[in-house]
Amino acid sequence: MNEVAIEVKNVTKSFKLYYDKPSTLKERLVFWNKKKADNHIVLKDISLTINKGETVALIGVNGSGKSTLLKLMTKIIYPTQGKIVTHGKLTSLLELGAGFHPDFTGRENIYFNAAIFGLTKEEIDARLDKIIEFSELGEFIDSPVRTYSSGMYMRLAFSVAINVDAEILLIDEILAVGDQHFQDKCFQKLEELKKDGTTIVIVSHSLDAIKKLCKRAIWLHEGKVKMDGSDEEVINEYIKVCG
Amino acid sequence: MFKELYKYRELLKTSVKKEIRGKYKGSFLGVLWSFVNPLLMTLVYAIVFPFLLKSTEPHYVTFIIIGVLPWTWFTNTIALGTTSILGNAGIIKKVYFPREILPISVVTSGMINFLISCLIILIFLFCSGIGLSFYILWLPVIVLAQYLFSLGVVLITSAIDIYIRDLEYIINFFVTMLFYATPILYSPTMFAGTKIASIINLNPLGLIINSYRDIFFYQQMPNLGSLGFLIVGCIAFCTLAYLLFKKLAKGFAEEV
Repeated sequence: MNEVAIEVKNVTKSFKLYYDKPSTLKERLVFWNKKKADNHIVLKDISLTINKGETVALIGVNGSGKSTLLKLMTKIIYPTQGKIVTHGKLTSLLELGAGFHPDFTGRENIYFNAAIFGLTKEEIDARLDKIIEFSELGEFIDSPVRTYSSGMYMRLAFSVAINVDAEILLIDEILAVGDQHFQDKCFQKLEELKKDGTTIVIVSHSLDAIKKLCKRAIWLHEGKVKMDGSDEEVINEYIKVCG
Repeated sequence: MFKELYKYRELLKTSVKKEIRGKYKGSFLGVLWSFVNPLLMTLVYAIVFPFLLKSTEPHYVTFIIIGVLPWTWFTNTIALGTTSILGNAGIIKKVYFPREILPISVVTSGMINFLISCLIILIFLFCSGIGLSFYILWLPVIVLAQYLFSLGVVLITSAIDIYIRDLEYIINFFVTMLFYATPILYSPTMFAGTKIASIINLNPLGLIINSYRDIFFYQQMPNLGSLGFLIVGCIAFCTLAYLLFKKLAKGFAEEV
């Protein structure tokens, strides 16, 4: 199975950094000549191919562009230059519980959250029991989300996201969810998804977790791919240089 | 466009529901406010304007309410729609979904509110003895015209509001001005033959409100020629607005 899941072609991404961003018309007119904007290049001409069924980790120090690359893949932001093509249904877990409405119950939020991921009502109905069971929330599922503890909140959010049956799953630094028991369960679920042929891209600083899950690692450094290879090699080199 | 919207239809449905239910959450009368508000407005106009105008239409209260209810739909849509992207910054930054769902759900929930409030119009029509006619069957066509017009406006304002925050306030001013330029409290026949009449005729909202009056109040055929022309124009307007929205949408996550 060597079909391409994600193709990143010569992507450059730069952000304009304003010291004082004009957001109102007055500021724009009054300070029109104060162009205090720096162009900050986060990714420099990156090209990558990720095949279907691969589990890939993105590693690198803070500010190396890992999260930016992930956001580009989900189409939340768009590249300044270059192109990103993805094949297959894509779900991203950039932040858990985005879009939860605090006054709605857990059950209602499952519907709303899963709808954001592009599921239809029938599809959500079919997964509802699985999601509730996975979250281990029990009877709390019918209480408003604002009454939840942060752990419960995370568990519910993760359960929704992991059960949407994506073909490509992008995960940003959220493997540390809940207690040890729930974390183990999440890993188990990720292993299962891997076996089913889901393409997974993980951004993480937890090297042990990466070693367990991934076969391939990509090391980003200052917006460029510094190394791309098997997880052992890349992580060993990474620890040597940055550790 | 339609393919992706169809894929995300569940999101569209839930956000329309959220829009209708969430707006008055925590208030005592809840959703009823969307009907009480225009009724109170009508009450004020019905008391004040007979003093100001030399002669008003017979059944003046019924006459105004047919104008006020569609107008309420329009202003609420513009006010909520313009901030619909900015107000959802949290989700915009974290998840991908077709962004146009947000303005579309504002316009749609407004339409549902309006259709329900048409019951109020019916009650007034019966109580004032005007009654009903078959011309009311043209209602969906007029509603469609208003829907498309509001959607076009909101697609543009919601996208631009991300880049220039002043727009909310500028829009407020224009909406207030438009209120007086639209024959809501008066009948356009008052100005028949003058320049003002032709200006009013250029106002799409004026045309829409006149059409509502035609089918409900005067019980006659709405001006189908202008209405058809308006719908074609609004479809073109919506398409352009959508293209602009799509172009600006790429920067939403970075700018909000």
